[in-house]
Amino acid sequence: MRLKSYEDMNLQELDVMKEISSIGTSHAATSLSKLLQKEIRISIPEVSILGYEETVERMGQMEELVAATLVQMSNEVNGLMLFVFKKDMMNAVLEKLIGKCYDSFEEIDELAYSALEEVGNIIICSYVNAFTQLVGVEIDLSVPSSTVNMLGGILTVPIAEYGYETDKLMYINAEFIMDGVRLSDGLLMLPDIESLNSILEKLGVVS
Amino acid sequence: MTEKDLKVGIGDMKFTRGGGQIITYALGSCIGITMYDPFLKLGGLLHIMLPARADPNDPKIFKYADSGLREMIRKMTAFGMLKSRTVVKIAGGAKMFEIRGNADFGNIGQRNATMVKKILMEERMSIKAEDIGGSYARTMLLDVGNGDVIIRTAGRPEKHL
Repeated sequence: MRLKSYEDMNLQELDVMKEISSIGTSHAATSLSKLLQKEIRISIPEVSILGYEETVERMGQMEELVAATLVQMSNEVNGLMLFVFKKDMMNAVLEKLIGKCYDSFEEIDELAYSALEEVGNIIICSYVNAFTQLVGVEIDLSVPSSTVNMLGGILTVPIAEYGYETDKLMYINAEFIMDGVRLSDGLLMLPDIESLNSILEKLGVVS
Repeated sequence: MTEKDLKVGIGDMKFTRGGGQIITYALGSCIGITMYDPFLKLGGLLHIMLPARADPNDPKIFKYADSGLREMIRKMTAFGMLKSRTVVKIAGGAKMFEIRGNADFGNIGQRNATMVKKILMEERMSIKAEDIGGSYARTMLLDVGNGDVIIRTAGRPEKHL
């Protein structure tokens, strides 16, 4: 049966996505750990299929300022990857990379902005790399694009991009644990529905 | 927030009469449209996400500019709104991400704005004020007591439309 929307995925199919996310997250943590020269542990990621408002609620608040990096996937899988930095994650990363912390996203300067974009890009790329190896597909990635904006506004981008297909988002939530501090890691992995079907097919999980 | 305050989610519309506020949070590429009939103190706020309803059986009328605006006008007209005295204001339609080498990506905001303006013109309603485009999210609030529209953005002062 071909899926028409993310929420059509059954438990087995969701489990597969969870497995993919788990591998993706550990690759991402390894890259981040190399970059920051820090040991990073991860929790097992949760994969949730949520509506727009539920996703915002899970991640924070509508008007909360966050930074986000977006990369577009094309070739055998089309879709978007969106990584969201909340304040704790931002400061943990920036402190190591540029030796500076910021009280709020409004104070972010050019340097911090490009550092965040780079980290977002590295996380997304290692994620997608793990994914391509596991599934055996070719994925091309666009250059990253970043913004500092209201969380609610940022999440309208994927929801509008696929608005004609689905009202749901696939939210992957894992924790990076660095120096004993839990940092929330919010990643949205959004293959379009056709790509999702071919991923599941390639992995042999089509019911 | 008082009890007359209404919150409008994505792809939704609410209206009320007399007083209170209607608010919608964090419009990105979406567009918020307020209609206010000052004579009746009747005000409504619509939050659309996409330009056109492609599938006529899609029950989510307020998700789309074309079906959403028409339904909003129909409903508010039923409550006495007169198009000729109604004040229309719009906000949103931002482009949140810019992808180099793919200028088409994320210009849904612009397409939304074009469609909203087209439908309003067809309905012979003029837009009194707008805050459209840019690369930042907006929160839009309509004061139903006096028709004032407030736009909140991060890092910028509040703006009255």
